[in-house]
Amino acid sequence: MEGKRVAIIGLDCWDPVLVEKWRDDLPHIKSLQENGVYGKLRSTDPPITIPAWSSMMSGKSPGTLGFYGFRNRSDYSYDKLSFATSHMVREKRLWDILSDAGKKVIILGVPQTYPPKAVNGILVGDFLAPDTKSDYTYPKALKEEIERVVGDYMLDVDDFRTENKERLLRDIYRMTKQHFDLARHFVTTREWDFFMMVDMGPDRIHHGFWKFFDPAHPKYVAGNPLETSIRDYYTFVDGEVGKLIEVLPADCAVIVVSDHGAQPMIGGVAINEWLIEKGYLTLLSRPETPTKIGSVKIDWQNTRAWGEGGYYSRLFFNVKGREPEGTIDPADYEAFRDRMIEEITAMTDERGAIIGNVCLRPEDLYREARGIPPDLFIYFGNLAWRSVGTVGLGSYITYENDTGPDDANHSFFGYVSVTGTRKNGVREGLSIFDVAPTVLTIMGMPTFKDMEGKIIE
Amino acid sequence: MGKGVTLWLTGLSGSGKTTISEILEKILRDAGYKVEVLDGDVVRTNLSKGLGFSKEDRDINIKRIGFVCKLLTRNGVVAIAAAISPYREIRDYNRAEIGDFIEIYCSCPIDVLAERDVKGLYKKALAGEIKNFTGVSDPYEPPENPEVVIESDKESVEESVKKALDKMIELGYVDPQRLGFGYSEEDEEKVKKRLEDLGYI
Repeated sequence: MEGKRVAIIGLDCWDPVLVEKWRDDLPHIKSLQENGVYGKLRSTDPPITIPAWSSMMSGKSPGTLGFYGFRNRSDYSYDKLSFATSHMVREKRLWDILSDAGKKVIILGVPQTYPPKAVNGILVGDFLAPDTKSDYTYPKALKEEIERVVGDYMLDVDDFRTENKERLLRDIYRMTKQHFDLARHFVTTREWDFFMMVDMGPDRIHHGFWKFFDPAHPKYVAGNPLETSIRDYYTFVDGEVGKLIEVLPADCAVIVVSDHGAQPMIGGVAINEWLIEKGYLTLLSRPETPTKIGSVKIDWQNTRAWGEGGYYSRLFFNVKGREPEGTIDPADYEAFRDRMIEEITAMTDERGAIIGNVCLRPEDLYREARGIPPDLFIYFGNLAWRSVGTVGLGSYITYENDTGPDDANHSFFGYVSVTGTRKNGVREGLSIFDVAPTVLTIMGMPTFKDMEGKIIE
Repeated sequence: MGKGVTLWLTGLSGSGKTTISEILEKILRDAGYKVEVLDGDVVRTNLSKGLGFSKEDRDINIKRIGFVCKLLTRNGVVAIAAAISPYREIRDYNRAEIGDFIEIYCSCPIDVLAERDVKGLYKKALAGEIKNFTGVSDPYEPPENPEVVIESDKESVEESVKKALDKMIELGYVDPQRLGFGYSEEDEEKVKKRLEDLGYI
């Protein structure tokens, strides 16, 4: 398996459990499995779009990349968070390596590619582009071609938090179809050695529609009219994958891959409410209605920790000599961290049942942690619960999301299939870090010693 | 003080070295970086005055430019050298001496350059009126692993400049925010709202 072209069809959040469940409805996905190797792909910690795709494309951990989410602390002040745009990526990703080697690339919508950087080929930036008025393509003029081929380009679906599910569903279909249409256009009108697209549709449909199909979801109602929406969408995506493969060169290796999976969201933990209750966080005045933590005044001199919302929680400590009004003596740092781990692990829901939180230190996860990592990573209910950053809820347990309806949380395993391998079949123990060295090997290029993965074969 | 670096633009006469170095100089200086440009044509009127175009003289010229770049670089300056610098060995010597070194290869086919012939030199060189003219009657050894390749026959000056700045950002020599490469306030709010809606933050 050497010197071949590679096409990566990236499907954000495409879930291996659902693929297995509906395999017989997904003839093209199934055929790719039968013509190569496939399996569950362990995501990064945290299993979130950023950093997961950049880790996959560089073979480097989030710690090495210095990304722990979409926004990261840029210094030890309390409020400075910077967006993890392409400019913040210091490690080479596959298209950088391949461009340097003179290979032609087509990159479409891969997270962390806005603002677009020069490649040896073309690049369409991701949904971190503010809108299509911005220069979201390389070269700049590519934008006009996109508009000519597919009309108004959809960076993402708009107004995601909505109860108007019919409209949302239509938009998700429209976006996915458009991205596959554009992919077919690019691969058939250009010379290329490496093609990669990422469509966010699967992620959006999981978050928006999970409760309608999964009896394990607390809000599931049997016989609801949207019960088959996710399965129907999976078969639609399968059809699009089939149409794309049809126009790919026969000798090209095809990789279908996701960055993480999904699971029903059971509830939310309002981490800052919990910290207030325990006396670790003090507000100058406590709001009576739900308010973002960034919008309330914190009494820093009486605060030891605060947390960020998201699919997982990042806990930050207020350390003397590090934060502007630090309260934790550096000598007590580890003892405080141990105490937090113990207390957060023992956290219960409103009925007194243990939630099952998992706390991890950066050094538990990474060889190195660049930038400013959180002092603790918390997976509430091992990711079945969301982290809610809001205060003023009156309780740290909530079943309403602070940002509107959301049915799913992420899970640790994404999906991968690779064609053109010497042997076929299912593989165990695959990691997101395996993708980059595998692609380089298929393309007949040397791999890099500092890539963390191994070759899938 | 920022970390110094040498941007070494190499390529045939008329391939865009001076144009690109002037734009880079302005952008970097406006962003608050200390910048000096060592343009081959200018250097030959002072630092290397009297040197000719034999291989030996060319090597001395390029080593002198490299030496000044080294001093500037170690003092936190972005030193931009724009010189044909046809010999790989001397460019690599400068790279080794300076350390923080970004080689920018301004590549352009000779027929395009002869067609453009901004300074009217190719016409004369091709007619045999100029001796030792790189690319016509003197060799040019393209870099084997330049950090940046600029193709001035295929891309706009703006794109070429962006390639160089992107490489500086990637290698950590400049801060994208300082270059104004970050979001505008309005865009930042838009992106923040989208990410909140999507549940990421």
